[in-house]
Amino acid sequence: MTYTILGRCARTGRLGIGIATFSITVGRYAHSIRSMVGVTVSQANANENNNQIALRLLDQGFGAQAALDHLKSNDAYHSYRQIGVIDRTGAAVGYTGKNVRGWCGEMVGENYVSTGNGLRGQHVVEAIAKAFLAEPDADLEHRLLMGIEAGRDAGGQGNATTHRTERSAALLVYSRDPYPDIDLRVDLHEKAVDELRRVYVEYKQYEDYYRARGEHPRGAPSQEAFMTTLRKAS
Amino acid sequence: MTFSIIARCPTTRRLGLGIATFSIAAGGRCEGIRHGVGICKTQAYINRGNDLLALQMLEQGLSPAAVMKSLEANDPDHEFRQIAIIDREGNACAHTGSGPRPWAGHHIGDGFVAFGNVLAGPQVIDGIVKGFLAKPDDELEFRLLAALEGGRDAGGQVGGDGHLPERSAAIFVVSEPDHPDIDARVDLHPEAIAELRRVLEEFKIYEVFYRDRGYRPDLAMSQAEFVATLSKRA
Repeated sequence: MTYTILGRCARTGRLGIGIATFSITVGRYAHSIRSMVGVTVSQANANENNNQIALRLLDQGFGAQAALDHLKSNDAYHSYRQIGVIDRTGAAVGYTGKNVRGWCGEMVGENYVSTGNGLRGQHVVEAIAKAFLAEPDADLEHRLLMGIEAGRDAGGQGNATTHRTERSAALLVYSRDPYPDIDLRVDLHEKAVDELRRVYVEYKQYEDYYRARGEHPRGAPSQEAFMTTLRKAS
Repeated sequence: MTFSIIARCPTTRRLGLGIATFSIAAGGRCEGIRHGVGICKTQAYINRGNDLLALQMLEQGLSPAAVMKSLEANDPDHEFRQIAIIDREGNACAHTGSGPRPWAGHHIGDGFVAFGNVLAGPQVIDGIVKGFLAKPDDELEFRLLAALEGGRDAGGQVGGDGHLPERSAAIFVVSEPDHPDIDARVDLHPEAIAELRRVLEEFKIYEVFYRDRGYRPDLAMSQAEFVATLSKRA
């Protein structure tokens, strides 16, 4: 049981993933982006090698559909997997094997895949996609987080009679660098999506400061000094 | 303001990194660990490209000392960095420039490096080393955690206004090329190391279940069924 939004920003080419699930430390499975190459996810009985295989295929020049086809033909148990892939052109594909548990499926369009399993219903992936598409000019990390929050608010994981909380969540965005722009995690929490929003809001205040002190350490203020400017601003 | 340890397990050859700091989401700035290659971690004023560049050089076969020289030649602000490097054989090298705020320093041991800045003093490094060496037969992830706890209990970070809590912490261990063994994070918490122990201990309960359902999903029980077995056991 998991719900996920893969997204590509059409303006900037930035690539990202937002993911939330009942399982713990889901960010461990979300190292699934290569800058300007693609983003992927393998979930539901995840084949842990799939993400890197998919990224290597995309890096070699295969498109999203071909990469997905290779993953399936490479895996005797692909009917138990749920996979999403977006390539550098924004072409997007999703796959849900017939043995994945609970309500499971995806909504796919240019530059996005909304995918999940063990969900309350189709409306959850629809809500995620709708929220992701609502603000196309906003930063990708904001759009991905709005998508995940919409999935939570639409009921998230469970079935007709039960609900399963999100215990972990993660948000990753890559721009042009080989390392992430945004890499935020909640690994074990009773309301992981709420907690991810808290981490995100706090981190966003420091994002530029952390970058600037690394690029220009000479004369950079201490973090304690920087924080007094935050307190003044608030 | 950070204290960290990078290490290689001499019996399993697994590589691991533990980090704790006042900054937020430090685990999102730790790309420099790769199975069969080595580890590089840059901290204090972070040059974000450093760690991945170092891995490229280690992969080419350069020694940690040679890699460090190349990093220095590539970076006009090398004196503001604190860098530790270890290769897949456990050879280690470290650099604490004059730029990181005091107290800053490192200790190179047999197959590991303990290092930190804005610390209470050298006793913090001693605490990290002592924690790491206390139980050499434990799994690497728990030795790294004991090291972070040793650093915390020896006084941790002290800035201009006094003691600084650990607000984020992370542990990574790798033994496979395409996915981590352990990737556990706390991004924003008033006692991040204590919270990291909670996350890691919980993950270890699920570790084999998560792995096996990926290998043989046709034989896997649902997570709800697995959680029910846990509550019976407790």
